Amino acid sequence: MTCRDVIEVLADFVDGAMPAALAAELQRHLQGCEPCRAYLATYRKARALGTVAGRIEMPAEMQARLRRFLADTLRTV
Amino acid sequence: MTRYSARVYRLAYGITRSAPDAEEVVQDVFLQIINKGAGFEGRAALSSWIYRITTNLSLNKRRGKRRELETSLDDMLPTFLPDGHRAGDRAFVVADWSEMPDDKLLSGESRRMLEAAIDRLPEHYRAVLVLRDVEELSNDEVAQIVGDTVAAVKTRLHRARMALREKLTRYLGGGA
Repeated sequence: MTCRDVIEVLADFVDGAMPAALAAELQRHLQGCEPCRAYLATYRKARALGTVAGRIEMPAEMQARLRRFLADTLRTV
Repeated sequence: MTRYSARVYRLAYGITRSAPDAEEVVQDVFLQIINKGAGFEGRAALSSWIYRITTNLSLNKRRGKRRELETSLDDMLPTFLPDGHRAGDRAFVVADWSEMPDDKLLSGESRRMLEAAIDRLPEHYRAVLVLRDVEELSNDEVAQIVGDTVAAVKTRLHRARMALREKLTRYLGGGA
């Protein structure tokens, strides 16, 4: 398994969707490859940061506008 | 309303990256829910439909907008030598900033860099990224929502994550 092979299938590995035999092969490559270990660690972290950054909440004033919009809409339905 | 409006706004904002556009999408989604009435077989069907309609309305809202901001992902993907090893400067390919504290990564210039990287993803990639990594839906569910194959969803998700990783590494790698 080369670095190219490892990075190509990294999403399945990180998401726990990789067959055990392939995961074991990938782990063996990681043991001897510092660039791939760094890539995996930063890929995981980037994914986690993307998740946190995406957890945005609707501003309170927007929620109030939405409630008014729905109330007005339902009155006319 | 609260149960769905939070999710709809999160997804709409995640795709459009614009609060006013996301607000319009939320209103349009609720209008469609009202017009459709009780034509759903259970909460799961309603939830799936809401994700689908929100994604479509958000992508429509984006159509023709801010494309100049979006960059080709090819420049953000790792490169390799003919033998399959990583190409590039050694210090860069072993740079590991993953142990930096979250409060540092999620504030100041690092946060701006992360947001800019998300902004620059093509919208269909961003939709998949939000549905998978924020809404935590399965690849199968996302494929049904965006109307694509599971293989295409997995490819887009992986490339989007790699692009975020690359952008952050270019910014943070030197100081790791």
